[in-house]
Amino acid sequence: MIEHGGSGPEIMVNSSMGLKGPACFFQNAGALCRGDKQLLAFWIREGRRDSIPVCMVLIILGCGLYGSVIGFRQGPEMTCYVALKLPAIIFLTLCVNGLLNGLLGLVLGSEIGLRQSLRFLLTGYAIMGLTLGALSPVILFINLNMPGPSADGALVGHAATLLLHTAVIAMAGILAHVRLLSCVREFAATRSAGTHTFMAWILGNLFVGAQISWNLRPFFVSPGLDVEFLRPDPFNGNFYEAAFRALQSLSLL
Amino acid sequence: MNDENKDEIQSAPLDHRQGERSYSGKVYEPLEGGYNLANLIGFLLKKPLAIINDLEAQKKPGRVIFPLILISVACLAVFGLVVGTFSSQKIDDIQIWAAPLKIVGGLLFSSLLCLPSLYIFSCLGGVNARFQTITGVLSAFIALSGLLLIGFAPVVWLFSVSSNSASFLGGLLILLWVVCVGFGFMLVLRAGRALGMSNISHVIIWCLVFLVVTLQMTTTLRPIVGDDGSLFNFEEKKFFLRYWGEQVMHDVRPENKRDPLE
Repeated sequence: MIEHGGSGPEIMVNSSMGLKGPACFFQNAGALCRGDKQLLAFWIREGRRDSIPVCMVLIILGCGLYGSVIGFRQGPEMTCYVALKLPAIIFLTLCVNGLLNGLLGLVLGSEIGLRQSLRFLLTGYAIMGLTLGALSPVILFINLNMPGPSADGALVGHAATLLLHTAVIAMAGILAHVRLLSCVREFAATRSAGTHTFMAWILGNLFVGAQISWNLRPFFVSPGLDVEFLRPDPFNGNFYEAAFRALQSLSLL
Repeated sequence: MNDENKDEIQSAPLDHRQGERSYSGKVYEPLEGGYNLANLIGFLLKKPLAIINDLEAQKKPGRVIFPLILISVACLAVFGLVVGTFSSQKIDDIQIWAAPLKIVGGLLFSSLLCLPSLYIFSCLGGVNARFQTITGVLSAFIALSGLLLIGFAPVVWLFSVSSNSASFLGGLLILLWVVCVGFGFMLVLRAGRALGMSNISHVIIWCLVFLVVTLQMTTTLRPIVGDDGSLFNFEEKKFFLRYWGEQVMHDVRPENKRDPLE
């Protein structure tokens, strides 16, 4: 059980929780990855406002770095575009789902409100950003060994890159959210309410995140298509319609 | 029978349950903070049984019911406005105001249709409560569903501006409605238990009836999503499953890949 608000060994607010200076910033990053419950208690229960900028910076740095690796195959222009768009997906998803996540937290009985749900999810995405950022050099190395967009075997290279990035992002997401789940369970009024709330958040964020990534396409520019920040018709169609049409064209439906 | 005795009998199921208060520690908390909208919304989300408890204890339940109806109307109107953005190319388009009107009107009318059956089915399930209390339970149910729909409004807006297919958006709206109304049903069941319900099967049947009525209302008041050039289509009577099937088949056909509105 997490103790909070008191003095003594329960909370042990060390200097890193004060979030001052780059050294403390990196200490916080390490503590986040370990799922340090004292830090989370300090951030979420105490309602630390400075936890939000820390998480946002970690998301921007981690996901931005990984985004730049995704765009790297297509040249410097796409490197910058994807570095901007990958963190943007997370922030836009949280904006669209923010109110809903707060309402679901309350209605499902976890007693996690709007602000706390935002802090939880930002923390989860910060862990995901850290994981992605840490994997960026490895993925960059793999990317460098793939055929480029204008080389022979570009289609195979594109498909392999697509699968690789999907797998890495999924893995980072799962790792981050598994870490977060145990924290949500502890903070919620009951363990089962925490699990239900967490699952509802994840479902909602996946559903909306897929659509926002569709609106912000391209990320992996298919061979033969132009590099651009957004497609000329970003709001024409949605992810699920496109998936349905793709299945239809394969005569599966 | 004097008023004191009457009050005692009316609150009997709650008093019986109040024995559990000390056990769970948070089942029935008093509705503190008055009947302003913000306070009621807070209680509706966090401790809805406090509202039910207050309704049963109140001599003037209208003080609770009226704000709940106000919350429902406001939430449904905003949600309807977001739904209306799918079909409206410009701000003076008919659907931008017709969709909220139809959603608010349709849901209030559905509630009115189902209110007597909720009272009877609750009584069959063993609930010992006044008609006003059941009206309050229904109001709280609609208000909670409306609040959750407001939470979904940004999601609906995103898909509304992105989707080409009216069937997709219609399907999404129905899914969201079922989710929201599911939370409402849980509230009704919890309220029923708090009011002494011994058998939940009757109220579950009522929940299904209510769901079918609201789904049929989407077909009766069509078009709500999409625009077929008319405000209402009362002449052609259809069961909702048949109407939805026709719409989906229309969109799935390869020659209708794009929205005919475009």
